[in-house]
Amino acid sequence: MKEVFALLKPRFLSFKNRSISGSLRGRKLRFLVFGTFGLLFWGGTFSIFYRVLIYFQGLEAFGDILAYKLLSMVLITFFSLLIFSGILTSLSKLYLSRDLSLVHSMPVSREKIFLSRWIESTIDSSWMVLIYSLPFFLPYGLVYKGGAFYYAMLGVNLLPFCLIASSLSSLIVMAAAMFLPAGRIRSVFIFLGLLLFLLIILSFRLIRPERFVRPESFIPVVLYLRDLETSHSPFLPTTWFFDSLRAALSGCMGSAFFNSALSWSCAITMIFVATWVSGAFYFKGLSKAQIAPKRLFFLFSAKRARYGIFTNLFSGPARAFVVKEIKTFIRDQTQWSQIFLVVALIVIYLYNFSVLPMDRGPIKMEYLQNLISFLNMGLAAFVLSAVSARFVFPAVSVEGDAFWIVKSSPVSIRTFLWIKFFVYFLPLLLLSELLIVLTNVLLHVTPFMMVLSVVTVFLMVPGIISMGIGLGAIYPDFQSENPAQSVTSLGGLIYMTLCIGFIASVIVLEAGPVYHIFMTGIRHVRLSGIQWLWLVTSFSLVLFLCVMALLIPMRLGEKRIHQYEMGH
Amino acid sequence: MIELKNLTKRFGDIVAVNRLTLFVPEGEIFGFIGPNGAGKTTTLRMMGGVIAPTEGSVIIDAIPMAENPENAKKRIGFIPDRPFLYEKLTGKEFLRFTADLYGLDDGLFYKRSERILKQFSLDQWADDLIESYSHGMKQRLIISAAILHDPKVIVVDEPMVGLDPAGVRMVKGLFRNLAKKGTTIFMSTHTLAVAEDVCDRIGIIHKGSLIATGTVEELRLRAQVQEGDLEEVFLILTEGESVP
Repeated sequence: MKEVFALLKPRFLSFKNRSISGSLRGRKLRFLVFGTFGLLFWGGTFSIFYRVLIYFQGLEAFGDILAYKLLSMVLITFFSLLIFSGILTSLSKLYLSRDLSLVHSMPVSREKIFLSRWIESTIDSSWMVLIYSLPFFLPYGLVYKGGAFYYAMLGVNLLPFCLIASSLSSLIVMAAAMFLPAGRIRSVFIFLGLLLFLLIILSFRLIRPERFVRPESFIPVVLYLRDLETSHSPFLPTTWFFDSLRAALSGCMGSAFFNSALSWSCAITMIFVATWVSGAFYFKGLSKAQIAPKRLFFLFSAKRARYGIFTNLFSGPARAFVVKEIKTFIRDQTQWSQIFLVVALIVIYLYNFSVLPMDRGPIKMEYLQNLISFLNMGLAAFVLSAVSARFVFPAVSVEGDAFWIVKSSPVSIRTFLWIKFFVYFLPLLLLSELLIVLTNVLLHVTPFMMVLSVVTVFLMVPGIISMGIGLGAIYPDFQSENPAQSVTSLGGLIYMTLCIGFIASVIVLEAGPVYHIFMTGIRHVRLSGIQWLWLVTSFSLVLFLCVMALLIPMRLGEKRIHQYEMGH
Repeated sequence: MIELKNLTKRFGDIVAVNRLTLFVPEGEIFGFIGPNGAGKTTTLRMMGGVIAPTEGSVIIDAIPMAENPENAKKRIGFIPDRPFLYEKLTGKEFLRFTADLYGLDDGLFYKRSERILKQFSLDQWADDLIESYSHGMKQRLIISAAILHDPKVIVVDEPMVGLDPAGVRMVKGLFRNLAKKGTTIFMSTHTLAVAEDVCDRIGIIHKGSLIATGTVEELRLRAQVQEGDLEEVFLILTEGESVP
């Protein structure tokens, strides 16, 4: 085991040495902000789940069934999450890490290398799932008065639960690496994971929880739930965990210990099997992983791609950057799965509007439709900000080590940034307008509201994109292995905060005048002089704000990039 | 000391190294030269045990790499062309990490690391993070780590890249001294002047196959060149091979 710990040492030492390098202030601030958000989310989940369980406990006959069914579903969800997260981390640790050449040139057996990587992978893939599983598990002990024994059994069961999931993930990855290059496996698994995630969301949406507003549809659900108390497969780790917790809650110590013993024996066996398999197959798979994956589609190959109409708008060097931007974006398969996710979420977004039970609300329908449409402008702009945070904000950082080409090329930094701007502006403008028009059509809004939404979104989109490009240039990270993650940096945080501030300001500025226009329309009266003044001032301020949001970040970004020196 | 038998590596349809057979005796500095993409780095990575050959074998000090990789690797100091270093570790911590994996005890580690860090002019920077090192310093650190456990064989890919003239002279001197003491050095390089200056024998690899081996004189004869340096010999031999 000495070698296994020696292999883990660089990770530990790098963590320890973080304080020596980099901006401590930035890191503290990030920790504080993300920590606060995390804590709020944790506390919120805990209190909601606690209330749900209290509510269930109050339901006679099937309250307990519901609570235990929920526990079983939570366990299955967390187990799936652990496996999925484990697949991605073990793939990266075992086959894609940059230090693999170094580690494999050392006189250490493959099993030991595997074990050290597996330990790292288990910790990385489990810690967050573990922390966020606690708000689901802890309330059971409180509501059903499980006491110290329940919490002890929870701890005893959680560890093998993570170990089993992590071993299973590494076995899946090792098997996949025998057939697919490592780079391709990640794309495949991310795609499958997203598909699974979307299926869950879609199936939830198709149940149409809004129907529960209607009491007449509640009875069949109650009858259905009565049939739910069926036993689970005795071979699943989730069943052992569930049975152990249930036994702990009802004070059956024997059954609780027996089921956790099953979990532990399975975990130990799985680790042994995974280590044995690694001795036989890990290195073979790693050697295969060196093969560069072939491109999945040649649809966008240089010969076939036609960007003529668009690229002819630019001069020689600028055109070179535009073509490069489009080609690298399209050929980066990691973008595809995320675009797929964005598209699917937008479909769900639109579907939500199509099934809104507005006719059952207590507020007048016409008023409600237009109120939702007005707020939807903000929501659509927020969706755009989130998409931009993922795609636009890292657009400068994504140049990475190749940024010297930009610095040394005969294209000004200003042109470079504006190229980036237009590459993202056109598709995202189209997306936002499509979103707003379709939702307005589904809501049957007035022509005024339709025009207002389209114009407001048209004015806001350039600002949001410009802030993404500008702040991405102010806070570039050319060293990052995955620039998409730069959104979690301090710059990304400032970008999201500014976007929310910008959207909220526009909405607030427009809210007053729009309300008056709408009400005068309903009451068939004219706007007063003061109302006209308010309207002109508000819309002028909105225009001013949007122009400033467009120009200032680009200027600041340009200034920062001019000052940026490679290698520092 | 180093034996390569029918060493072959295929990446899909591409044959990167094709049935390479070679023997390098103890204490010899063997230069491995070839054009870009000839298969030099792939050969060295197989020798270092970083990737598995598709066919054939690597034998280090009579130990087959495929059957007993740990023992074979213990005898090697591997210096890759684009070495990875843990940027958040200090130079000394990185050496300690290497020493732990090669099984060096504390006493031996301190004694050797002090000497080597001084020899490579890294002693003043030993407690600084590697991320603050220049390219040349990183190269010197990786060479230090490779010789820390006193290997019988050094497998080195492009050792002089990033080194200043003083560094190049120091590394050349180091290799000569190590070879005198019996260490076998297998060195891949593009710097033909270095190969000519340091190596006892040179092998030329082209399109995955070893097309010539010998001393500079023997290669000159093979290329039918009376005068001229290794560069000319290299160009004649590789161009001749590329003619169908």
